[in-house]
Amino acid sequence: MLDFLQTLFRADFFFSILRITTPILFATLAAVIVEKAGISNIGLEGIMMISALFGSLCAYWASSWIAGLLAALLVGVLVALLMGVFAFNLKTDVILVGIAVNMIGSGGTLFLVKVITNLTEGKALASTTSLAVSANQIPSISIPLIRDIPLVGEILSGHSLLTYLAFALVFVTWVLLYKTAPGLNLRAVGENPHAASSVGVSVLKMRYVAIGLSGLMAGFGGAFMSMSYAAGWSQDMVAGRGFIALAAQAMGGGEPLGSMFSALLFGFAQAFGIKLSSKGVDSNLASPIPYVVTILGLLFFALFKRRSGSLRHRAHKKGASK
Amino acid sequence: MKKLSALFLVLAMLLSLAACAGKGGAETPDNSEGTYKVCNLVNGNLGDKSFFDSAESGLAALQADGRIEYTTIEMGGTDEDQPRWLETLYEVSEGGGYDLIVCGTYQMPDYLKEVAEKFPEQKYLIYDDTTYVGDCANVVNVSFKQNDMGYLVGVFAGSMTTDTGVANMNEDAVLGFVGGIDSPVINDFLYGFILGAQSVNPDVKVDTRYTNDYVDTAIAKEYGFSMINDNKCDIIWGVAGNAGNGAAEAALETGKAWFIGVDSDQELTFSADLAAITLTSGLKNIGDSLVWFFDEWDAGRTYWGQEINLGIAEGGVGIVTDKNFATYASADTVAAVESAMASILDGSVVVPSAISDTSGALETLRESVRP
Repeated sequence: MLDFLQTLFRADFFFSILRITTPILFATLAAVIVEKAGISNIGLEGIMMISALFGSLCAYWASSWIAGLLAALLVGVLVALLMGVFAFNLKTDVILVGIAVNMIGSGGTLFLVKVITNLTEGKALASTTSLAVSANQIPSISIPLIRDIPLVGEILSGHSLLTYLAFALVFVTWVLLYKTAPGLNLRAVGENPHAASSVGVSVLKMRYVAIGLSGLMAGFGGAFMSMSYAAGWSQDMVAGRGFIALAAQAMGGGEPLGSMFSALLFGFAQAFGIKLSSKGVDSNLASPIPYVVTILGLLFFALFKRRSGSLRHRAHKKGASK
Repeated sequence: MKKLSALFLVLAMLLSLAACAGKGGAETPDNSEGTYKVCNLVNGNLGDKSFFDSAESGLAALQADGRIEYTTIEMGGTDEDQPRWLETLYEVSEGGGYDLIVCGTYQMPDYLKEVAEKFPEQKYLIYDDTTYVGDCANVVNVSFKQNDMGYLVGVFAGSMTTDTGVANMNEDAVLGFVGGIDSPVINDFLYGFILGAQSVNPDVKVDTRYTNDYVDTAIAKEYGFSMINDNKCDIIWGVAGNAGNGAAEAALETGKAWFIGVDSDQELTFSADLAAITLTSGLKNIGDSLVWFFDEWDAGRTYWGQEINLGIAEGGVGIVTDKNFATYASADTVAAVESAMASILDGSVVVPSAISDTSGALETLRESVRP
């Protein structure tokens, strides 16, 4: 037991929490923004998969991770806007559009990779791993000063550029939503589209902005998956992180900071499961831990919300009786 | 419009006539010259540096010896090509000009079953698939002994892990195994791996983790990090499809460990960085098993309607011994691998299989060697 705690409270455990959280956090922010505008984008998983593919391929063609990252972001935004065209202009159910994008993310990327690179021949599972070299991966950053602090330096320094960006974007998202005029309009469209449109806010435009931003965030997540976390795209590599993000958004009450903490909780749960399995706990038992955490988290969240809701209700009544 | 439909009718008639002619031409192939006529159907393209190239090289060797004449048809590997696979299977079967039609991989059994039932006289061979063993009396399924392969890889890894003269090898004899799913097929690899490693180093530890899918490269990488950092693994065998490659990335990033590939020679398909830390790969030798199959056929032994499970004795499985293996393996390691191969050949070592094993022996073994 003591032995296990020693393994647990080592720098690499906390380091791995941040690494595991990064792709989930990007997708969570995407979900937060788009939900604020009253849209459920369940296609984040698919967008991440498509972005991951194009990021990895463009990094290879241009021999530059910057080109790859930009391509991933561009593709992410384009796919999201395309979802918007179907959902807003053509009035398709946005959930169905999301399902379609997820299917394209799985089967369509496989098709594209075959057409573009011929890399899938005779393989049960396709990947672009053979094209990915370390030089084209998004670099890790060693932070001066902080890296010299014992323990803290080991935990906080040396992460991928995108990991720092993910946490910075939590703050940026909060500012965007609560401190800017477009953010206010975006929330207004989500709360009550009729009221928003009555004061001259273009509901359609704000919805496109929201879904486009969610595509941008998912694009970052996809780029992290194929250009930093793993070397190259491989089929279905996002493996449910886009869905976990939806749960994280819900658990965080739809707020940037709260959702960040619930994304971190998932990161913690997965890192914890991996550490458990290193001590001989069957990895079959360890791997469902993140999902158990999801269910427990949602349960606590629901109970808490009900309680605080009823408290508020009571306070309201008291105020009224006075 | 009328003209167009007339044209279609004419075309349809012509096609059906052609089809009749095709069927009429089907005869039992003439084998008087002693060479088999073989059709090799590739559901992809050659140049995969994997199963298809291996099959092709085996057939080319047979043809060079004058034992067969073969034609390879590359059918393409995408979803839209799939209808063509069935079409081509029908075409070559209807033609009746081949003694044997060869195909392979998990994608073919459904098409093959449909066609093989319609042409009971035609013989077929499918490699690396056992979906419909015994359903058609004219089909032979070639499968591979993962446990034999695992044993060789285990002997190699068990011998290398204490060879501190090689960069990144630490003193602790701890190996890693990243498996896809805790299933009989994956555990068959593991069973051989553990026993092989124990045969050269009785105190060896094997850290086994399952990713629980074959696609999540990232989680395999996390398991790889954990094996290397927490348990001092210096060699990890990845048997989890694409996900297994995550373990190779962990080895590369930490700079403290090596990776071993599976099924085909992964040093050839990896990027240069990953290939550099891949010591060897456990191999399924499609080509050699085809040669073995024709040896048997010539000797009058046929296996139509059965599964043939090929191990080291038949050349069905092996281990890559050039490139990094040749560079890093010491004379002792090479000798250990060679003697393991010899002992399996002469029958003094029989590697048990996890498939259809219900005794729980593997589970006990797996837990007993945890670091």
